[in-house]
Amino acid sequence: MIDSHDRSPVRSERSGDIAVIYASDYLNKLSGERIERECRVALGAGCRALVVDFKNTGLVNSIGVSIMLGVIDAAERAHAPLVFSNVNDQAAQLFEILGLTLHAALAADEHAALQMLSELNVSERYPIPVGKHT
Amino acid sequence: MSTENIFKATPARRILGRIAPENFIGRSEHLREITALAPSTSPRRGLLVHAAPAAGASELLRQAYDKLFQQRGLASPIYFAFTRHEQTIAAAARRFLHTFLSQLVAHRRGDASFVNAPPSLRDLIDLADPSDYEWVERLVMTYERAREGGDELALVRLCFSAPVLAASRGARSVVMLDEIQNVEKLRGEVELGNEIAHVSMHGDVPFVLCGLRRGLLDELSGGNAPHRFDGFGTIHLEGLKEADARTLVERLAFTERVAINDETRDLIVQLFGGSPFYIASFMYAAHLDNVSLTSFLECQKIYVDELLGGRINRRFNSLLEEVTPSLTIRRALIRLLYDAATNAGGKSPVEAWRRRLELEPDELYPLMFALHVRELASFNATFMEIGTESLWRDYLRASYRLQVAADPRALVVADTLVETLKRAPQTMARHYRRAAALNLRELLARFDAQRVAASLLHYDRFSRIYRGVEAEEIELGLDAETDLIRLPQVVHAASCASFHPPMLHVCDEERCAVAHGFDAMPYTDANEIVWLTAEIDSKLEAGRAVTEVWCDRLVQVGHSCGFKRFKLWLVAPEGFSAEASELLSERDAFSSSRRQLELLTARLSPEATDARAGTETEAPDEFEMVIPMGSDTELIAAHTVEQIARRLDFPAEAINQIKTALIEACINAAEHSLSPDRKIYQRFRLESDKLVVTVSSRGIIVPSPTNAGTNGNDAREENNGRRGWGLKLIRTLMDEVEFERVDDGTRLRMTKYLRR
Repeated sequence: MIDSHDRSPVRSERSGDIAVIYASDYLNKLSGERIERECRVALGAGCRALVVDFKNTGLVNSIGVSIMLGVIDAAERAHAPLVFSNVNDQAAQLFEILGLTLHAALAADEHAALQMLSELNVSERYPIPVGKHT
Repeated sequence: MSTENIFKATPARRILGRIAPENFIGRSEHLREITALAPSTSPRRGLLVHAAPAAGASELLRQAYDKLFQQRGLASPIYFAFTRHEQTIAAAARRFLHTFLSQLVAHRRGDASFVNAPPSLRDLIDLADPSDYEWVERLVMTYERAREGGDELALVRLCFSAPVLAASRGARSVVMLDEIQNVEKLRGEVELGNEIAHVSMHGDVPFVLCGLRRGLLDELSGGNAPHRFDGFGTIHLEGLKEADARTLVERLAFTERVAINDETRDLIVQLFGGSPFYIASFMYAAHLDNVSLTSFLECQKIYVDELLGGRINRRFNSLLEEVTPSLTIRRALIRLLYDAATNAGGKSPVEAWRRRLELEPDELYPLMFALHVRELASFNATFMEIGTESLWRDYLRASYRLQVAADPRALVVADTLVETLKRAPQTMARHYRRAAALNLRELLARFDAQRVAASLLHYDRFSRIYRGVEAEEIELGLDAETDLIRLPQVVHAASCASFHPPMLHVCDEERCAVAHGFDAMPYTDANEIVWLTAEIDSKLEAGRAVTEVWCDRLVQVGHSCGFKRFKLWLVAPEGFSAEASELLSERDAFSSSRRQLELLTARLSPEATDARAGTETEAPDEFEMVIPMGSDTELIAAHTVEQIARRLDFPAEAINQIKTALIEACINAAEHSLSPDRKIYQRFRLESDKLVVTVSSRGIIVPSPTNAGTNGNDAREENNGRRGWGLKLIRTLMDEVEFERVDDGTRLRMTKYLRR
């Protein structure tokens, strides 16, 4: 039996005011909720921006994506910019079709995402351009 | 479905049994209880068998007879059924004695031929075993004198105490008396039921007393001094359990050489509510007509044939003849029953019955009681309530139209077929919903004043603490919680509809329950409480609007039933939104998700079951795969389709699209059906320029987000536009998509063309 948390767990790291959450290899309901939880915990702990990194994520389903909309909502309510990084073609296509790219920026990798946020000076809570790989 | 390898017919000796022992399914425990009466060391004096109509009670006794007959050296089996054709008590007593002696001699000689073709009493004297000759001869002589003497009571006592006399001479028997409800119709001065009860309790012979459950004890009660039946066991014989009924259908399909499939097998089980009699009649009819039962249409054709002219029709005709032999009254009765069945609630006052049937009370009440005993209606002092079994109602409707309204037969056949065919998917849907329901009633009944973590009954709290947390961690967290809720001691739990029938219009019976209990000791008015609980359909967290609707409904139930103090508990599969939780808190109501309910159930009783089954074949350019629903198994499907798509050199982007579409199709199948087997069937067909993927599953279509849910909630509000994307995505990613509803489930066909 496959169990996503056994293969590649969701984990998070903190880089100053920015939390980086690493998604597992399959973005589905369970792993989506874990990402959401990590994001809420990070925001609750005072983080001012979020990066969700999908470098380990091979496949994505629509339930997982719908939960990412919840993450976007939570980030917006906290005025925290959110960047998705390392999104592969399959996931990017789904994000596009399901409208996530209207609300969150995509970065080529984690480094680019952090760069993007640091250029914004996250403490000033500026909105950031969305939908394009930097 | 091939059943040939599963069942091998084993020849077994049948004397009274009407079906082969290997086809006698689901009654082994009852059979064992009866045959265990044979040894003289048996701790039981006998058994009372309370049978539901058409539950196969007579066949149970006949099978027991055959089994006991083969046990040489033990008690001789005696089977005797009171028939409705018998007119007098004396005739029944005479026939009993003749049956008893024939079957006893047959068993002691080891010659079953006497059982079905009994010799005369005089001949039986000569045929009796030498050790029995003397007492048999004396008994027959005494009987002949008593018969001439005209003392009915003496004759009855002589005949029915013959097994006691035989046992005292070393010829012990197990006496099985069937269809005891028919005793009521016999004419005579003697209280036959009372005599039977008396002899069964005071002789050293085990008796099995079997009859319809609503009539058995009335016949045997003994009037003002009810018999206690000390030392007797009790069997409550009802329809077969679902798994047993399925096995029965499969076995009969094999022996009657009728092709079926899983879908039609399950439909047959639902159509007849697990009644072995109806199932056997139905399969036999299919055998006689030489038809296969591989579609709902074929099943319903046989169903209608049986209803209007087959064995099932004859059974209902016969039941109504038992109720009243007069053709004129029977026709008026059919009209009355039909009218009552079409009333809201299926009820009509007794006074209306008296007027319309033009019967005096002493004629009317036996008629109503006869309907009651046969469960064609329920007699409740002031009104009659027509039985809800759909088979009976279908018969009633068809009979009314043919016999009373004089509609053309062809029209009745056509209408009945069309109606039942339209109803078939609903029948299955109801079955699946029932199977998927959380069984709140049972859970409530197990509360028993136990203390559980408060978060199990507060979704908002549970979600805040445990959302996204590993199962083991949740268990530990619940164990460590200090805020506990003491559940009430539930003394009675039933469906909401039993208290407030209008609830049936808004939800299935098993999805809403009422539990009466006490939330503290002692048993006082102040501690009395009623829990009103309902399971809400919602794909996502239930929103405030639907939650409010349900709170109001339950409060209305509470008020209309006059409950003084009640507590609301709502359950939604994915829990409740923040706004809904706020409302629940304002209403002081409990709330749980399916996950919480599972945890609560496990804490109240840690049990779980699971089941698995097999699969089929494949063609050279076609691959088939069956995966269980859940546990991310769609990934296995995605990896498989990737390998298959590579064979046709699909580009990487197209492969990604196919994989994503397949994942969505699998999720859709798992989420949108209440699948009975929890499996997803997939077929991948490679053609020169395309890959065709077919995904199918059994079960029902759960209303889409654009439709109102079955519980009346508006799913759009709940969805907030964030779910129900599966099909939209699939259409975007694949070139052709066909979604169709089949007999018992759904099928999605997706095609991707190769663009070189």
